Amino acid sequence: MIQFTNVSKFYDEDVVLKDISFTIEKGELAYITGPSGAGKTTLLKLIYCAERPDQGQIVVAHWDVGKLKQGTIPYLRRNVGIVFQDFRLLSNKTVFDNVALALRIHDMPPKEIKEKVSAVLKEVKISHKANTFPPHLSGGEQQRVVIARAMVSKPTVLLADEPTGNLDAETSKTITDLFKEINARGTTVLIATHNDALFHGTGRRVFHLRDNCIEKETIE
Amino acid sequence: MRIFIFALQTALRSLWHEKWINLLTVLSISIGLLILSAFMTITLNIDFVLKRWSKDFGLVVYMNDGLSKDSEDALKNIFEKDPDVEGIKYIPKEQALQELRLALGLNSSILEGFENNPLPSSFELSLKREALKPELVERKAEQIKQMNGVEDVEYGEKWLSSLNTLSGVLKIGSLFLGSAVFIAIVFVTYSTIKIFFYRRKDEIETLKLLGATRSFIRLPFLLEGLLIGVLGGAASSLVLYGLYAFVIHKAPDYLPSVSAIMLYLPLKVYVPAPLAGAVTGFLGSFIAVGKIRY
Ligand SMILES: Nc1ncnc2c1ncn2[C@@H]1O[C@H](COP(=O)(O)OP(=O)(O)OP(=O)(O)O)[C@@H](O)[C@H]1O
Ligand SMILES: [Mg+2]
Repeated sequence: MIQFTNVSKFYDEDVVLKDISFTIEKGELAYITGPSGAGKTTLLKLIYCAERPDQGQIVVAHWDVGKLKQGTIPYLRRNVGIVFQDFRLLSNKTVFDNVALALRIHDMPPKEIKEKVSAVLKEVKISHKANTFPPHLSGGEQQRVVIARAMVSKPTVLLADEPTGNLDAETSKTITDLFKEINARGTTVLIATHNDALFHGTGRRVFHLRDNCIEKETIE
Repeated sequence: MRIFIFALQTALRSLWHEKWINLLTVLSISIGLLILSAFMTITLNIDFVLKRWSKDFGLVVYMNDGLSKDSEDALKNIFEKDPDVEGIKYIPKEQALQELRLALGLNSSILEGFENNPLPSSFELSLKREALKPELVERKAEQIKQMNGVEDVEYGEKWLSSLNTLSGVLKIGSLFLGSAVFIAIVFVTYSTIKIFFYRRKDEIETLKLLGATRSFIRLPFLLEGLLIGVLGGAASSLVLYGLYAFVIHKAPDYLPSVSAIMLYLPLKVYVPAPLAGAVTGFLGSFIAVGKIRY
């Protein structure tokens, strides 16, 4: 589902990722870990084409992402749900509208949008805040809204960048459970985190990023 | 279609949300278009007057006294074949005298002094509109004057040339003014929409990441520009209508001649302003949104 072949990425002169190769199978749930600044976010950005690789090839589903035309990028992104590290919630729209936006761009009938958004808000247990504006939510609540927005359109791939960044252990647990559930429904899930507790004892593949390379791949 | 409705909602919300900037923009547009419409109205009216006069405009061909019927018919024949001539009216000398009497009214007694009818028979030729160019008319008059049996040819040369010049100048003026107003409106909507675009930069960035197409992102801005333009145009038409009604009501009291000239303002005068506003507003916002890159 996601395939990197000898991918390198530079920001100006600075190398961020060097000669990265890995494959994530359809339906897999995998982790990327590494210290801050290792390039986790950059790696995810390459997948949804917010950055282009300087070398190598990236294939996501049937798209050759590095060579994608501008006009095709939206169609790739509609198949990739993203939980952004910085949330990217619109503060002038309610929780409901923030999540609904991911469906509005699909030209979906309003009735269907309403049903789907209500269902997903219930799933992430944030229904009671549907009409609140994001700045009035706690960090954990905002995190759940972002997850809801990423999963509402039932993407084939879900990318989560530090989804438990500043949450307590208990909330982290509910969120990881959520990802497991999404994955169990067939979505390929890739989670970037520096929180080891997230993948300990999961039996999933973990890619360790260090010094611009995948230092090792483990099964935790 | 749903995307269009959603974009329209977004555009209307933004229109309302940023009402002061928008109001200012609409006002600027309407002032620009108003100046243009007013100018065009004047041009249109002058052109209309020109047309009306040109309908009556003709060459009067006076024939030699005592010209035979055959010669007159020969002349008539020539005029009938002339492609520039629209109508021919033969005025026999008796009728000319009759008309002169009528025109003189009570003073007609001065005609009693003539033993014979002093007036010649004549042809009044009305020319096609296309042929009413001063130099063409002059050449034609010259030609006819050379013909056998023609005494003299008369036409309102001064009128014709000055009206034609005026109408030409106004047309060129409209063109220049039109281009200037066009550019100004495009620029005004451009800067307004650009401001909105920058204000919503975060939102646009998020939309892009969620997989919104370029048209989905552009459409609300284009619609907003279009609406601003239409509103500006409609406002200018309304003001123009008000001004016109005012002039029609009040002006004859002071300037009786105005009513005769300012009669012509058909509905089609009010349509171009909103239309021009729509086109220019759309264009301005189109340039403002520019190329969307992911
Ligand atoms: N747009 C950019 N321009 C230049 N340098 C960048 C840019 N984005 C990231 N970098 C640099 O690339 C490196 C990797 O950044 P990245 O955000 O991928 O790290 P990360 O692993 O996600 O870190 P964190 O755990 O703190 O989120 C960092 O050194 C960062 O400064
Ligand atoms: Mg990061």
